[in-house]
Amino acid sequence: MKKFYVLIFFIGLLVCFSAMAQDSIPITSQVNNPMWGTKKLMITGGAEAVFVSDSSQQGFRNIKFHLAPLVRLGEKLFLISEIEIETKDGVADFGLEQVHLNYAILPDLTVYAGRFLPKFGHYRGMMGEGYLNRFPTDPVGFGDGGIGPLVETGLGIVGGLQMGYSKLNYDFYISNGPHLIANDANMAGNFEYESFLNNNRDMAFGGRVGLLPFANSSLELGLSTLQKTKTGDIHTIYNNVGASWMAYDLSYYHYLTSLKSTVRVYGEYKTMNVDQARYPFDSTVAFKSNKSSAWYVQGSLRPTTFDLQFLNNIEFALRYSKFTTPANAPWGNALINSAGNSIHQWAYGINYWLAWDCLIKFSYQRQSFDGNQFISQVIYRF
Amino acid sequence: MKKIKLISFIILFAIVAVFFVSGCKTPKYVVDKSGAQLWGESCARCHNAPSPATYSDDQWSIIMGHMKIKAGLTDLEARKIETFLKSAN
Repeated sequence: MKKFYVLIFFIGLLVCFSAMAQDSIPITSQVNNPMWGTKKLMITGGAEAVFVSDSSQQGFRNIKFHLAPLVRLGEKLFLISEIEIETKDGVADFGLEQVHLNYAILPDLTVYAGRFLPKFGHYRGMMGEGYLNRFPTDPVGFGDGGIGPLVETGLGIVGGLQMGYSKLNYDFYISNGPHLIANDANMAGNFEYESFLNNNRDMAFGGRVGLLPFANSSLELGLSTLQKTKTGDIHTIYNNVGASWMAYDLSYYHYLTSLKSTVRVYGEYKTMNVDQARYPFDSTVAFKSNKSSAWYVQGSLRPTTFDLQFLNNIEFALRYSKFTTPANAPWGNALINSAGNSIHQWAYGINYWLAWDCLIKFSYQRQSFDGNQFISQVIYRF
Repeated sequence: MKKIKLISFIILFAIVAVFFVSGCKTPKYVVDKSGAQLWGESCARCHNAPSPATYSDDQWSIIMGHMKIKAGLTDLEARKIETFLKSAN
C-alpha cells in the first residue's frame, strides 16, 4: 500500500513537471528569481527482454521497462528519478527505483537527498545496469539475494576531484540502512535491502571512494563500505545486532592498437559480517558465524576498428563469479548445493551492438547446482 | 574488526584528502585536455559514447548534469564535455 501511495505521489510530481516543461524545452516561470534559472525536463529510460533455456525450462522470462525523468531545475539543482516495471516474479511489479534531489554546493561537491542507488562497489549502482553489464545475468552474489545495499533512503555528498595526474571520485551517505530479518524461517539472519522506512533509531553510514591513478582515466580502484550498528527491529532482542559490508573493486579500459580492439576488465570482492545472534528458527542448526562473501572477475573484448562493420559490433565476454554464504544459514547455498556453502559460475558471452544504445546478448552459463543455461537478452536504452 | 575497517576507510580518505589539499599541482597537459578528449576518456570508460548529434543542446545540458553526479566527474570535466557536445551537434 505504501508503494502505491509513493507511486501516486511520484506520478503527481511527474505530471506537475510535465505541465511545466515539455521534453527539453526551457521555460522561464521563475524569471524574477535568477537563482533558479530555467527548468529543463528530459525523460530517458529503457526496455529489456530475456530468453532462458536449460534442462528444466525454456521460454521468455523477465520483461523490464523503466522511465527515468531527469529535471534540471537550475544551474545547481537537479532531480534524478526512475520508476520501473518488471515481470520477474510472474506479475507486473511496479517499483520506485530512485528519486533524489541534488544541489551543487560547490563545483565539485553536490549534496543529495531522497531514495537513491548507493555506490557499493562498482557493480551495484553502476556496472550492473543492463546496458553496461556484458551479460544478461548478475554475477552470483551480486544480484537479488546477494550482498550489499540495493536502494537506500537518506542524504549524502558526491563529487569528483582532480589531484595532479590522478583523479578521485567520492560518494558518502547517511541512510536508513538494511533491515535484519529475524522472524522469517527461510531468511533469518539475512537482510531486506529495499525498505522505504527505518526499522529503528539507528542510521547507516556508507560510501565509496574511487581513485583513477592514470591521467587517461583508464584504471579505477574503488573502496566501499556500509556500516550499521543496530540493524534489528526496535524493541526486539535483535535491535543491537550490527553489520558491516565492505567492497573492493577494479575496472580497466584500454584500446589495444595491435588487436584493433577495446578491452575492459572488471573485478570486485565484497563481504558481509553480521554480529552473532540466535534466531528462533535455528535452535538445532545455529549458524555460528554470519559472514558472507562474493567476488567476480570479468573481461570483454570488442574489435572496434576493423574495416568490417559487422565485426566492429561484436563483443566477446568472459566472467567468473563465486558466492559463499554461512554454514547452516537457512538461506545459505549449502541447502541448495550439496557441494558446500559456495556456488560458482562461469559465463561466456557474445554480444552484438545493433546501435550505440541497443544490444543483443547471448550467454552460456555453467553454475554449480543450477547446471548449464543458455540465456539471451535484448536491451534498448533511450 | 568492523571498527578497524571503518577507521581504515576514513584514514584512507583523509590521506587522499590531505594529499589533495596540500596542493598537488595538476600538469598542464591534464588541465588543457579538450572536451573531445575527455568525452572519449570519461564517457567511453563505461558505455558507448553517442554521437554529439544524438541529442539537442538542452538535452546535453540535462545529460551532463546527470552524468556529473552519476559518474563522479569533476566540474571542469563536465563543463568541457558539455561545451564540446553542444558545439559538435
